[in-house]
Amino acid sequence: MAKHSPVIGRYVTIEVDGCEYKVFYLRNGHGGQPLVCQHTAGCHNHQWRGLLEDEEICKTYDVIAYDLARHGKSDPPLNKEWWKEEYLLTADHYMKFIVTLCDALDLKQPIFMGSSFGGNVALQLALHHPDRFKAVIPVEAAENSPGFFLDWWRHPHANAAQVCGSGVWDLMAPQSPDMDRWLTWHYYTQGSEVFKGDLYFYSVDHDLRGKLGNIDTKRCPVVMMTGTYDFLTPPEATEATARQIPGGIYIEMEDIGHFPMSENYPLFAVYLKEALRLIEERT
Amino acid sequence: MVMSVRDWAVRFSEASDRDQTIGAMARYYTCTYMWDMGTQKVIIEMIDGKVYRINTDPQPLDAYDFVLRASPATWREFARPIPAPMYHGIWAASFRRDLKMEGNILVLMQNLRNFTVQFELLRKVGVPV
Repeated sequence: MAKHSPVIGRYVTIEVDGCEYKVFYLRNGHGGQPLVCQHTAGCHNHQWRGLLEDEEICKTYDVIAYDLARHGKSDPPLNKEWWKEEYLLTADHYMKFIVTLCDALDLKQPIFMGSSFGGNVALQLALHHPDRFKAVIPVEAAENSPGFFLDWWRHPHANAAQVCGSGVWDLMAPQSPDMDRWLTWHYYTQGSEVFKGDLYFYSVDHDLRGKLGNIDTKRCPVVMMTGTYDFLTPPEATEATARQIPGGIYIEMEDIGHFPMSENYPLFAVYLKEALRLIEERT
Repeated sequence: MVMSVRDWAVRFSEASDRDQTIGAMARYYTCTYMWDMGTQKVIIEMIDGKVYRINTDPQPLDAYDFVLRASPATWREFARPIPAPMYHGIWAASFRRDLKMEGNILVLMQNLRNFTVQFELLRKVGVPV
């Protein structure tokens, strides 16, 4: 008897800023509440494999994890000669992509969760689109996160796949299981051509310093979570960010790093369930 | 009691040469690097994934491709079985602690997979400081 996963993959075509994107997403869940999940920079939706097969959460939530354009099975724009210009992701385009995708899937008041550059865009969404989302869960995020927009990610004299895989290795906690850390490494070997362009958003275009006070958590609650082994957005950076958001909540995750959903899902799930409980309390 | 650098070199060489993760992709792991631990420096010469030589008494003109420099206290933190946050890797420690990476960083990047695995052997082998 074949062992099938309940997770289903589909494509949907959307248009964002004149770009035609055929977007791949994975979905599982029987609940009515959509939970939309963004992977980290240079990666793809398989990072959410643990959540997508979490029976307890999928009883209550409709979990949707997509590949951002140019990642995983979502191709670059099909109507443009994208190879003739450098890819540099902006906050504006990123947010439009997410909102357009949520519209295309007819998602009513989804909760948005993203990690790293997905966490940073979650903050942007809370600021700029508070009524489109029921709440956001920025994971491993901060008001700004400089220092990772590096040429090394795609340097032609080095093995870019291994540089990306091993360059993010110690963003993970040493306690996380070897299998899951090496799977995350494996995913990171697959996205080296977009990693740097993603990090343009992460380390350059994303800057909410001085703007966090404008986030209205009555319209869109914000629950931030960061692992103690994250050196890029260390706990103190996330905590300082959450404190500047009126009503913002910060949860510190012990003994986990920058890729909590893929490096140690069982531990991440403990914190995620608390975040979801807090959101249900406030909405 | 700090182990002698000669004992450390033997233990490190053995651990590295029998490491299966390095062995799985050992070919072309060829470079020479220094670990500057403050009170002790070593130059490690790798050829095709094996430790060819460890210079335990580097002199001023001894050559290497790149060097990692940090205080003895930081190296001792690297060598804990489970390092504390920000001492758990070369990127973490260079972003948040006193680790400096100098020299031809391109060579480090070209060998980053195996170098990272090898660096973490310090958690089993310890450090001579």
